[in-house]
Amino acid sequence: MTDLTQRDPVRPGARSRPVRSLYAGNARAVMLRGWRATRSTNWLVIVSGFFEPIFYLLAMGIGLGTLVGTVTTESGQQVPYAAFIAPALLATAAMNGAIYDSTWNVFFKMQFAKLYEGMLSTSLGPLDVALGEILLALLRGALYAVGFQLVMQVLGLNLSWWALLAVPAVLLIAFGFASLGMAITSYMKTFQQMDWINFVMLPMFLFSATFYPITVYPEWLQTVIQALPLWHGVELVRGLTTGDVGWGMLWHVLYYLVMIAIGLVFTTRRLRALFLD
Amino acid sequence: MSGDVSTDVRGDTARAIAAGRRPRRWGAWYVALHRFRVMRSYTGTVVVAGIGNPLIYLYALGVGLATIVDTDLDGVSYLVFVAPALLASAAITVASEEFTYPIMLGYKWNPTFTGMSASPLRPTQIVDGVVISVAVRMTVNLVLFFALILVFGAAPSPIAFLSIVAGLLGGLAFGAVLMGYTSTLEEDTGQLAMVMRFIVLPMTLFSGTFFPLSTFPIWLQWIGWISPLWHSTELARVFSYGYSEPIWLTVVHVAYLAALIVIGWAWSRRIALRRLNR
Repeated sequence: MTDLTQRDPVRPGARSRPVRSLYAGNARAVMLRGWRATRSTNWLVIVSGFFEPIFYLLAMGIGLGTLVGTVTTESGQQVPYAAFIAPALLATAAMNGAIYDSTWNVFFKMQFAKLYEGMLSTSLGPLDVALGEILLALLRGALYAVGFQLVMQVLGLNLSWWALLAVPAVLLIAFGFASLGMAITSYMKTFQQMDWINFVMLPMFLFSATFYPITVYPEWLQTVIQALPLWHGVELVRGLTTGDVGWGMLWHVLYYLVMIAIGLVFTTRRLRALFLD
Repeated sequence: MSGDVSTDVRGDTARAIAAGRRPRRWGAWYVALHRFRVMRSYTGTVVVAGIGNPLIYLYALGVGLATIVDTDLDGVSYLVFVAPALLASAAITVASEEFTYPIMLGYKWNPTFTGMSASPLRPTQIVDGVVISVAVRMTVNLVLFFALILVFGAAPSPIAFLSIVAGLLGGLAFGAVLMGYTSTLEEDTGQLAMVMRFIVLPMTLFSGTFFPLSTFPIWLQWIGWISPLWHSTELARVFSYGYSEPIWLTVVHVAYLAALIVIGWAWSRRIALRRLNR
């Protein structure tokens, strides 16, 4: 850290022009670097991530579907069980991909590979790094989303043309989780702390109207679930793929926009505090 | 040790031999003790996951999902049906945590196994010690899980506690084979992530965990037949609520799981001998 502060005089005026010092307009370089690194090391792991929601869809859709039949959504629409869980699995896949990329991956790059220190000692600013990493996570999310959408289409689980909007919706969800995840990771010091992320994600996955409507829960628990981000994502994507669209869905979009903004602000400030000040 | 005079050297030798005797005999337990101390660094995680995860799963599936699966399965409520399966898959989760990265760590990343084998410990004892320590951790997890099942009132049979044994058998059967596989890896280039994704996850989903295996078309049922999880789940169901199956099938479950444990364990020992004695 000390040598970085010593290097500061090389970039005079960095502190006096706050925006320029945060963002050099070159997030693309960070993204490209990540893309190359992925291609040379763990592309197979990335590709395989696509199969996870498919396994869930097959197992629960076929197996449980025969026992459950149809489900009534919150607006009273009757849909086949597979069509009910598929959008939820899509939203969850977006969350998982984004969280994995922006937590474990970023944690490793930050704590062990010391990658960001190197990047920030060039003309890149903290916002370049944050945006670059997040956009890379989004690219991965987009691959999964398109693939899963195709599977849904083949299995006849897209009940409406609105389903086309599910892909941008998934990207919005991934953006939200990626930017918040990266903000949280920047405060983490050890691997043990990282485990806590799983303790938040598992109940969110199981409780967020993923496998059954949340109306089965007591009122207070429903309120808690509705405050959590994944529920908004599930509702948004499910509304689109089942064609149950209304103005109320804009609240879900707004929720994610706020989440993205908060995440970006915190990540940038934190990266700057860690590596530049 | 003997009363000889002028035997400083011989005394030291004797002491050295004596000091090596106990590890030769109890070495596996020494290794297990070491593993427990390592586990202490993540006790918090183990305890929170050990209580939190069962609670979440039992509530989400047994209470939540049960409301839309309104048919009784095997003549019992959905909660009673799913509880022993969740117990069995908790053991698989412990196995897939403890027999993957810690093994890589021991052989390669932080080579404690190499260090151990430079002491009077034999490579086979190192393997035994790891298995013992994981079996203990697994038992603790299973007992906690079972206690929560009792709280949910989801284990009607008087011999339901035996489902802990069924879970342990399943966890060790999968774990021993997994340990053998992990031991063969010289380098992790994503193989372990692949195991999680293409073996552990499908095994959990397609082993009759959330609904009877017979619900699947026949071309998917083979996954259950070869899966240690299915065998241990069925066994746990027999104990937990008296699920009726022919007695020979129960014997097959036990025999299959026992065979996997023996094969996996022997395989791991063989590789340990090869890798640590070179």
